[in-house]
Amino acid sequence: MQEQLQTIISQAKMAVKSVTDLAKLDEIRVQYLGKKGELTSMMKMLGKLSHEERPKAGQIINEAKQMVQGILNAKKRELDDAKLAKQLAEESIDITLPGRDVDLGGLHPVTRTLQRIETLFSKAGFDVETGPEIEDDWHNFEALNIPETHPARAMHDTFYINEHTVLRTHTSGVQIRTMENKKPPLRIIAPGRVYRCDSDQTHTPMFHQVEGLIIEKDASFAQLRALLIEFLRQFFEDDNLKTRFRPSYFPFTEPSAEVDIATDLFGDGRWIEVLGCGMVHPKVLTNVGIDPDEYTGLAFGLGVERLAMLRYNVNDLRQFFENDLRFLQQFK
Amino acid sequence: MKISENWLREWTNPNWDTNTLSEELSLAGLEVDGIEPVAGTFTNVVVGHVLSVEKHPDADKLNITQVDVGDASPVQIVCGAKNVVVGMKACCAKVGAKLPGDFKIKKAKLRGVPSHGMLCGVTEIGLPDDGVDGLFVLPSDAPIGMDVREYLDLDDCIIEVDLTPNRADCFSVIGLARDVHAVSGVALTQPFEDKDMAGTLKCSQPVIVKEAQACPKYLGCVVTDFDPKATTPAWMVQKLQRSGLRSLGLVVDITNYVLLELGQPMHAFDLDSLKGAVQVRKAYLGEKLVTLDEKEVVLSEDTLVIADDSGVIALAGIMGGLSTSVTSETTQIFFECAHFSRLAITGKARKYGLHTDSSMRFERGVDPMLPERALNRALSLFSEIAGGTISQIQATVSEEYLPKPITIELRSETITKRLGVEVSKAQVEQIFERLGFDIKETESGWALTAPSYRFDMSIEMDLIEEVGRIFGYNNLPETPVHAPMTLNALPEAEQSLFTLKMALVQRGYNEVITYSFVEESKQKLLEPKQPYVLLKNPISDDMKAMRTNLFSGLLQSVAYNQNRQQPRVRLFESGLVFYKNDSDPTGATQIPMLGGVITGNKSASGWDGVERVVDFFDLKGDVETLIRMSHQVENIRFEACKHPALHPGQSASIMKNGEEVGIMGQLHPSLVKPIGVSGKVYLFQIHQDALMTMQVPAAKVISKFPEVQRDLAFLVDKDLAVQALIDSIVAVESDILKSVELFDIYRGDGVDASQKSIALTLKIQHQDRTLQDDEVDALISDVLASAKQAVNAELR
Repeated sequence: MQEQLQTIISQAKMAVKSVTDLAKLDEIRVQYLGKKGELTSMMKMLGKLSHEERPKAGQIINEAKQMVQGILNAKKRELDDAKLAKQLAEESIDITLPGRDVDLGGLHPVTRTLQRIETLFSKAGFDVETGPEIEDDWHNFEALNIPETHPARAMHDTFYINEHTVLRTHTSGVQIRTMENKKPPLRIIAPGRVYRCDSDQTHTPMFHQVEGLIIEKDASFAQLRALLIEFLRQFFEDDNLKTRFRPSYFPFTEPSAEVDIATDLFGDGRWIEVLGCGMVHPKVLTNVGIDPDEYTGLAFGLGVERLAMLRYNVNDLRQFFENDLRFLQQFK
Repeated sequence: MKISENWLREWTNPNWDTNTLSEELSLAGLEVDGIEPVAGTFTNVVVGHVLSVEKHPDADKLNITQVDVGDASPVQIVCGAKNVVVGMKACCAKVGAKLPGDFKIKKAKLRGVPSHGMLCGVTEIGLPDDGVDGLFVLPSDAPIGMDVREYLDLDDCIIEVDLTPNRADCFSVIGLARDVHAVSGVALTQPFEDKDMAGTLKCSQPVIVKEAQACPKYLGCVVTDFDPKATTPAWMVQKLQRSGLRSLGLVVDITNYVLLELGQPMHAFDLDSLKGAVQVRKAYLGEKLVTLDEKEVVLSEDTLVIADDSGVIALAGIMGGLSTSVTSETTQIFFECAHFSRLAITGKARKYGLHTDSSMRFERGVDPMLPERALNRALSLFSEIAGGTISQIQATVSEEYLPKPITIELRSETITKRLGVEVSKAQVEQIFERLGFDIKETESGWALTAPSYRFDMSIEMDLIEEVGRIFGYNNLPETPVHAPMTLNALPEAEQSLFTLKMALVQRGYNEVITYSFVEESKQKLLEPKQPYVLLKNPISDDMKAMRTNLFSGLLQSVAYNQNRQQPRVRLFESGLVFYKNDSDPTGATQIPMLGGVITGNKSASGWDGVERVVDFFDLKGDVETLIRMSHQVENIRFEACKHPALHPGQSASIMKNGEEVGIMGQLHPSLVKPIGVSGKVYLFQIHQDALMTMQVPAAKVISKFPEVQRDLAFLVDKDLAVQALIDSIVAVESDILKSVELFDIYRGDGVDASQKSIALTLKIQHQDRTLQDDEVDALISDVLASAKQAVNAELR
């Protein structure tokens, strides 16, 4: 019997060896281990043995069964692995190909700059206000202490719609509209498009400003300095940014100043003008019904394109309005 | 204004180098725009006297010269200049000299002949080109051997100051010097003596001032018997040149000199060409004047003029006329030195296109007390140079119209409050003393009277600015604003434009910013019926009309990029559009709009071969995304529409609660070419306001009971809008009908050519219990009935 089992095992081994698919392997399993399989039939013959012989014989048949089962299992694993390996090989892809539906546009650098400015100021409690771009004489000039005959009118290169209506030359008109409609204390910024009748390498007929206004009791020029110096340092992320305040002139502020910055990050450390500011002229406060003895105003106007150029290394102002995708796509 | 640094230093000379001086001027509010040395850097160039000139034996174009350079013996110099002649004085660079560009002069041999130096032309010593081909010829009295830098005063810079309109008082050397004095404390010294030059003879030229308010002071003076051949001295020519003025003859040069020195514009007439009395009056309508620069101007009645019996002879405060101008033939001069009010002159130069040094000063204001001093200074200069007999100075003055000095109170408390720093009493007093104010102490501070040239002072804040300016803005502290800490409102139901923009960015759009004024003809192509606003003074004809839509700018940007090999373009813009509206105070309704355009392929990269170009529904998907983000799905509907800019079969009105808030569609094929784009282009624009209100979410309980799904296919007319069918189903108003969704549209085999099949999925669910079959059946039968009735739909 021992011999017989050995023969069966070696036959099974032989049979399994040449098998290449699972169906054939299953046939072999049935041939040896199925209900009518060779080893199963040997098991059935146990009954014919004596009581003493039976356990021993049972044990060796079982061992043979396990051995054959082991051979079959090993082959099955081998076949499964080969099948999976084949599938994986077939399914492998060039993962360097680009992904689908990647389609990212970008914000205009001016918007990006405006957003940065708005975020900085709104975190300090400033509200964002807007106003019309076709503006009446009162809001663009008169209320800001720029009467008809004022020499500053000539500085503005105004686009006229008619005698009394203009394209706003600055966002300062929003100061007036806000003060007309809201009670102090106030803290606002007013971003937006402004227009001047001027077009050359360093001027475009339309550009952007952000107006800022604080109306408080006893605001001081020293506070204006602190606010703007801090803004510029945060905007450019440069704690060593040098600033200087130069006396200047705006009809709607008194005292007035322009602010220059200097840094080695750009402009070779030369002074570059970035904003105008001052304390709101008492006449302007009176014009909107605020008592200049009770309240003081601090105001500033930022040139957005200038800040964007410095921040993002843009060297030609006109690029902002050409809208060339090759330019725009750099601001994702 | 350009001014010579050395001239300024004649008045006040702080121990500052040029850069410091310029920085200090800027920090005093007189912004320095540029500093330019008058000559290049060079050394060892002296006045040379050419003693002899001989032809070079071996070179046609060269001469051998002997030049006296002030040394023991003359030097031999080989020279190639054409204008070299015996006896001339010229600039001579000696051996060892360094010329601009680090060019060193060494002993040399030119074609075998030794040469010990170089005779120079103007550009070789870094002076502006004078157009002379050859040597820089010096006056015959130039001292031989003198350093040319010293002789020509070349160690000087031209400082260009950009003055703000309020600082008209600084439009002169004296004006700048006064501020330098105020900042530095260094003494202000007038380099000449004020003299009373008036003679004894009566001024023979009568003057009638008819417009006393516009001309409150008019001084006139006649000068006769002077040397008509007298010329402008070199020092004066040089100062004028360094301020950018050409020498135009002695009389004009003197008036220009006084204008630069003291800031007072003047005019000189040829006395013999004046007819009758000189009058200061308003022009008559249509009167003409040929100005000094030979332009004819036609005058309007608001213009102040100087006239005589023959008509207008000068535009007051702006420019003189040609017929009465001083020439080389002039033997008698009438000097005018007047104060014209700012209001009388403002705007006139611009109106006639005649911006002059004079108009610029009168427009901004001139010291009303200056004419006497300026006229005397001019007469004194004239008489020193050309002699002559000076008449009495005839003054026509209307005191009541002359600006009066005003006294302003300055409280020391206000200085501290407004500037945020305490400035000591002594400091304040020193500042105003240096600024020339009259100071009187009061209980709370000071009563200050500004000098007549500081007519920009009118309120206390003006004085505070002066304190800050001289104290130094940059010496003020930085004090953070202290205010109560409050949280700003954060309305959650307000959509932000930025969020919408970012959604478009994430869908592949690039933001553009285009001009708000567009080409009129293109706007008319796109929206022929929409009235628009026109600019009176556009930059150019193609930027004349205020946009009534965002399409013009977007399309222009598409064209720009298509022309630069960018076939796939996706752009958006936000901004105002302007509808002409006479009932609005600004003459226009100004509406914030968000718009976009797409053209080219759907995908950015198409390596797997499923490329296709965009269509209407790609754009609609983007628009619907914006609508969903703003929770407006239920309020907004798309309705087929006709718009002149859009394809009539592919355009939609975006309707919110029955009102049109936007449009979208394909650019009308007939506009593709005229607009300058190519391919199929899809556009949308929507009122920002329509997207700005959101809803704060309120969650509903999710039903635990099974959902029933029924697919229904309807046969409808082929032209029926799917929306109409869906509307008819939703109209059933059932609590259990949760949603109706389109899943297929079919035309072709099995469906009549006049019809199409629309397949919808209905989702049906009860909130509180499991639905019974008969409930669902009843709903479906209602749905079928409603669809049949409303749009004649049959179940397929």
